[in-house]
Amino acid sequence: MRLVSLTLRNYRNYARLTIELQPQLNLFLGQNAQGKTNLLEAIAILALSASPRSRREADLIGPAAPEASVEAVVDGAGRRLELALKVAHGSERTVKTIRVDGVARRAVDLPGEVQATLFWPEDLNLVKGGPEHRRRFLNEMLVQVVKGYGRTLASYRRVLEQRNSLLKRIAGGLEGRGSLPVWDEELAALGSRLVEARAGAVSQLAPLAAANHGAIAAGEPLEIEYSGPPAPLGPALAASLEEDLRRGSTGVGPHRDDLSIRIAGSEARSFASQGQQRTAVVSLKLAESDLIEARCGERPILLLDDVLSELDAPRREALLARVGEGGQVVVTSVEAEPFPAALLERATVRCISGGRVEPCG
Amino acid sequence: MQLPEPLERLIGELSRLPGVGPKTAQRLAFHFLRADRERAERLSEALLDLKARIDETLICVVEAPLDVLAIERTAEYRGLFHVLHGVLSPIDNVGAEEIHIPELLDRLAGGEVREVIVATNPDIEGEATAAYLQRVISPLGVQVTRPAHGLPFGGDLEYADELTLARAMSRRQVL
Repeated sequence: MRLVSLTLRNYRNYARLTIELQPQLNLFLGQNAQGKTNLLEAIAILALSASPRSRREADLIGPAAPEASVEAVVDGAGRRLELALKVAHGSERTVKTIRVDGVARRAVDLPGEVQATLFWPEDLNLVKGGPEHRRRFLNEMLVQVVKGYGRTLASYRRVLEQRNSLLKRIAGGLEGRGSLPVWDEELAALGSRLVEARAGAVSQLAPLAAANHGAIAAGEPLEIEYSGPPAPLGPALAASLEEDLRRGSTGVGPHRDDLSIRIAGSEARSFASQGQQRTAVVSLKLAESDLIEARCGERPILLLDDVLSELDAPRREALLARVGEGGQVVVTSVEAEPFPAALLERATVRCISGGRVEPCG
Repeated sequence: MQLPEPLERLIGELSRLPGVGPKTAQRLAFHFLRADRERAERLSEALLDLKARIDETLICVVEAPLDVLAIERTAEYRGLFHVLHGVLSPIDNVGAEEIHIPELLDRLAGGEVREVIVATNPDIEGEATAAYLQRVISPLGVQVTRPAHGLPFGGDLEYADELTLARAMSRRQVL
């Protein structure tokens, strides 16, 4: 899987940009707030069909512009694809349109055309942060490898929102319980599909993450386990109904999922050192890329945003070893310093300044 | 003044039409009194044809008035319609009482209807509304059906929406 070229128009701080990317290492250097993260975000959007960092899609549109666009030519699985994504200010809400080889596609059906693994400083919360970071990690991996996962997730969220509103209406005496079973059945059906996909992915991810962790941290054991809702989900929802009515929200279901991460037998979130936590994060991100490759038959594009400076030497080397393994990598950094000379020789190095990409120096 | 019995009867029937008061009914009745026989026959035939063509044992439930036009244009359906004017959506404070579900149940109470076709949109709220209707209508001994999902006619398979194609494949029919 590789990105051949990328064109941005009115995308955040890029008024207009066209770059060609080489098949291996592409390095972009620049000071903070010049557009490094924006560039990687644009590539990640093509893989996920949504920004990994901002919920408001209007934020993607540059100042005083009516619409933003990201276009790319991608080589993968023996074929070349042209992808185009536009986000425009509409009269009521932001309108997103997607085309694959010129054919309109629904946003939920875009993921799966391009696979990418993004690793940025935000991911350092993967181990020490709340469960929402780990759910997001699972979702961003799964939309790319399980057909229909994005659609199921979007439907699940909508039905959950409906059920929570209904709980409040019932508690407030505005409505009886007559329509509750309809929403519960739908929520249980969609939820079970999410649980199945997540459980399957985590059981495949765990040995990959353990191998990566062991290699960086001299055999230190890392255990990953999926922590999902009680099964079957339907009866579990029914059992929590009275509690849910009191609280006005749904207490069981995959929206409360987590990953249990244990290092050397102890729960990593509370007991691991910062160094151990970071090793686990690097191991998980590399395992994500391994899993995508195993399922899709091709290495995903590895996007590394300014993370090398956050890592100490052994972890950095483990990550850079991957960079040398083949597969396309797009890296941003403030300085070229963390990269070994041998790697820099094979890389295309460019500099980013004020939304422009130019040769360095 | 005493009017002849047939004229009296016609005025009575006409005044039961929606939007027609006693004065209008009288004016229409006298209009037909003056008109020739052929005119009266054409009207009564049209009325009888209309009743013969409509299947009153069938009700198609739709979300909005425009959906009625869409289905009527097919000229395939001969049953009655029931417009819900919405779908179940607790987020928007719409429950079963806020759309015309109680009225639908009233229409079914007579016992003439044998099938209800739920033609709400195939989205989350439309499907939930259909499931809810199935739940409340089935116990009345009325069959509840849903229009089939499938490939658009004249469409190119290659460009078919994936979900539509998947459903069409899983619910395929023997030729």
